[in-house]
Amino acid sequence: MGLSAVPSGPGGEASRTDPAPPRDVAGRGAEAARLADLVARSSRGHEDAFSELYDLTASRMYGLVLRILRSADHAAEVTQEVFVEVWRQSARYAPDKGSVLAWMSTIAHRRAVDRVRSVSSEVARDEQYAVTTVVREADHVWEDVEQKMDVERVRKGMASLTAIQREAIGLAYFGGYTQTQVASLLKLPLGTVKTRIRDGLIGLRDALGVEE
Amino acid sequence: MSEIHGAVGAYVMNALEGDELVEFETHLAECPTCQREVVEFRETATELSLLSRTDPPPMLKGSVMAAIAGVRVLPPEEAEGNHAATAPEAVPRQPLREVPVAPTDELAVRRQRRRMRVLSLAVAAVTVVALVLGGFVVSLSQRQPPLASVTAETELLRAPDLKAYTITLKDGGQATFVASKSLNRAMFSSGDLPALNQDQTYQLWTLAGPLTSPTRVTPDALVSAGGAAKQWFTGPIAQSDALAISIEKAGGASAPTNIQGATSF
Ligand SMILES: [Zn+2]
Repeated sequence: MGLSAVPSGPGGEASRTDPAPPRDVAGRGAEAARLADLVARSSRGHEDAFSELYDLTASRMYGLVLRILRSADHAAEVTQEVFVEVWRQSARYAPDKGSVLAWMSTIAHRRAVDRVRSVSSEVARDEQYAVTTVVREADHVWEDVEQKMDVERVRKGMASLTAIQREAIGLAYFGGYTQTQVASLLKLPLGTVKTRIRDGLIGLRDALGVEE
Repeated sequence: MSEIHGAVGAYVMNALEGDELVEFETHLAECPTCQREVVEFRETATELSLLSRTDPPPMLKGSVMAAIAGVRVLPPEEAEGNHAATAPEAVPRQPLREVPVAPTDELAVRRQRRRMRVLSLAVAAVTVVALVLGGFVVSLSQRQPPLASVTAETELLRAPDLKAYTITLKDGGQATFVASKSLNRAMFSSGDLPALNQDQTYQLWTLAGPLTSPTRVTPDALVSAGGAAKQWFTGPIAQSDALAISIEKAGGASAPTNIQGATSF
């Protein structure tokens, strides 16, 4: 309980240099294989496997949904829908179409975006929120060194993009905005936004070295 | 033709709409380049969610596990005309509404909808309210999602008129009251009740009428002090309008003296 999302000041925990080496590709691959196995066992009705899958992924799913919806109540509800959907669709997860985390995150992102667009009138939308928090978010206190290294890696990847690419991706991914809304928020032509999002993803993909 | 390739990033970000979304998905079905980029970009985008990692409320897990208990896992997709094999669209769009459900699934789906509704109602029931009771302010803070898979609890949590509130107690700690008038049941739970002296106990109360000027105050169950606690109310809940918890001398009291928190429901 006590370790959830406690913001520390900029330059705090997250920016400290850690002695631990970055996680190797093999470690990440093993984790991905573990998740794939849990999904496979879930698809055969094993609730214990699903329980473990939940434990390993809930903070990623809930955090993403919460960031988009900015309401703890809506986020809990949508996160539950996401996990029920993951359970229902578990036999249809295709490992050759991507990792379990990517599959689940896609479900979570889509559901959160659907929700935010359907309730946007009741949820106050702070237009600057996504832009200003994308980089700041990692200031949260992480007790896990590996997580911290991963966060640092992604922050560096984001930092390697141009400001426009970074903002366009932040607004689309964490803000849940349509490309038309992103264009109007950034006061850029739609075609430019489209290009910046794709270029930004290419830059990020290369910076993160996401392997197949 | 080449124009539409450029929308792949916005597509992965769920930022395309309307005609353009349809147009892109049509293109995607037959463009290996875009199919590969969709897979890659989804992995990349997923890394971004490391930045937003947040632990969910602890009770969400019980809620999720209870929800899946009545949901049947869909069978693997048939390889219809090889379509499923080529499109990277392994993720259904708004699946709950669109995935066709065989008649045999009907019951499971209904059960699932019912469970989902429970959580929605609990969410809808919560508003941030401040009220004055016995001279101190009780704030109804955000509700934790209800839950547990124990049968009586599950039944309570499935009640169509379920109300759930989490409040901060006067001397610290969070307490959740979950109640259903139709089932005539209510439960108190807390994960962090402050410890008491040996000659003290927590006591639950049911009230009729408005919280500020109740027409009836009935002593209810005692709650052993400290740490995690869960306690059913003895009731009557159907005839009550508010629930409260107080600190009393060991053995309990007939009227509350040191109220720690209360909520209308
Ligand atoms: Zn293409």
